[in-house]
Amino acid sequence: MADVLLVDDDKRFLEATVQLLQLLGHSVTAADSVVAARKLMSNHQFTHVILDLILPDGSGLHLLEDIPENSKTKITLITGHPSIKSIVKNLYGSNIGYLIKPIDLQQLEALFDEKIAFSSRNPSGELHFNYLVGESAPMQHLYEMIARVATTNANVMLLGESGVGKEMVAAAIHYASNVDGDFVATNCGAFSRELIGSELFGHEKGAFTGAVQRKIGVFEQASKGTLFLDEVTEMPVDLQPNLLRALESKKITRVGAINTVDIDCRVISATNRAEQDIAQQGCLREDLYFRLAVFPIHIPPLRSRKEDIPLLVRYFLANFNREYDGEIGVSDESLRRLIDYDWPGKVRELRHAIHRAYIMADKDKKLLVLPEKLTSPFSKVQAHAAAGIRVGKTVEEVERELIESTLEHFDGDKKQAADILGISLKTLYNRLNTYGEAGL
Amino acid sequence: MTKNQFIHDLRNPLNTISINAELGKLTLERTGDLRKAISIFEVILAECKRGSQILDDAKDSHFLNGIENDK
Repeated sequence: MADVLLVDDDKRFLEATVQLLQLLGHSVTAADSVVAARKLMSNHQFTHVILDLILPDGSGLHLLEDIPENSKTKITLITGHPSIKSIVKNLYGSNIGYLIKPIDLQQLEALFDEKIAFSSRNPSGELHFNYLVGESAPMQHLYEMIARVATTNANVMLLGESGVGKEMVAAAIHYASNVDGDFVATNCGAFSRELIGSELFGHEKGAFTGAVQRKIGVFEQASKGTLFLDEVTEMPVDLQPNLLRALESKKITRVGAINTVDIDCRVISATNRAEQDIAQQGCLREDLYFRLAVFPIHIPPLRSRKEDIPLLVRYFLANFNREYDGEIGVSDESLRRLIDYDWPGKVRELRHAIHRAYIMADKDKKLLVLPEKLTSPFSKVQAHAAAGIRVGKTVEEVERELIESTLEHFDGDKKQAADILGISLKTLYNRLNTYGEAGL
Repeated sequence: MTKNQFIHDLRNPLNTISINAELGKLTLERTGDLRKAISIFEVILAECKRGSQILDDAKDSHFLNGIENDK
């Protein structure tokens, strides 16, 4: 039996929950304010304290300061918004439970049963800001950045390799910001030159051939919300001043319109180019960069947070099980292989691999079946790109890599490889013999 | 009224309905106390009216303007 202090100012909820917990066999004391709860806590040590976040005389979080660090009291916060989890976790650590409104019996019972508490949660652990999975140090750092920027209206630039989940992070920032408007995502690389103005700012009826009716652009669609501009560095440089002007003046003019429209949204942009490349290759104007990247965030690739792979695997599995109404699991051996692989295609490739393994799953054993080789066409290309010329390699090493890559490309056909390399078949054999003799 | 305030205000009666529905089920299962169950249903009905009132109040709010009216 637990000894519970329940603190909430909603009288009907308080009365019903006290009765419900008593029916479950627990002893319950109720309070409807921070002052009343503080008084009760000073005289008695409860095993569980369940707190509403917002109380008439202050935040329920103030009561956390009264609880000694080594106390065994289990704290649970009542909230309507799951995003609060990550923010509280940063402030008070992870040893806090949550009841998400509307609360049901399963959630309440889980508070008092460690086993249920674990299994009834998202099987992958917690979703941070409703979109992100992972508990590794790089992800904790990312969560902190998101929590900080969410309280401001600063424009954010997300930097990270292809497949790291930039749109997920953008959606998480929107979620954490708790704003009234919508999250509108658009890809700057997909705009045609002719229509870019119309896509971003909208157009009036008759503005150009084909403009049969007024259209609202993405800036207006994201009013009071978040506009996500993916692949912003792929926007033609000569058209970037239009975007810069909109960001600077916070006003836009629809194509063909006379009047301006005020815009009020956070812009989150993203690129998979490295920061130094953005400057060196001149794919983004300097003035636009400083407008967009008020708060740059680097998203860590999967290879730098391998400890998150089991969480991600379980998360994807849970999703596929829900989608296909299945009960497929993963063996320790498969999980080990998934952790050991480098995932050049990042989380996107991992999800793809799990989906494929799910389709191939052993229905009797109810386990994922991984392919013999975990690799994608893109991982091969990247491996070859990484193998290319760099200072410090010898001519022999580069030559050997070239020969091996060409042979692999032609599935070991030496004649074709020799033709492409511009060497005789005999020379190719000689080289291969040398590598063999050297035991390389 | 803002969108967030609307969501917060509507979530509270939903929460009270949810917890009272669980209490009603458990009361009938464990005690069979019909009078108690009836009083719990009355709380649920009152909370439904509260939710409906919140929807009525929000009908003309600016954030619902984006949702098309019935023709």
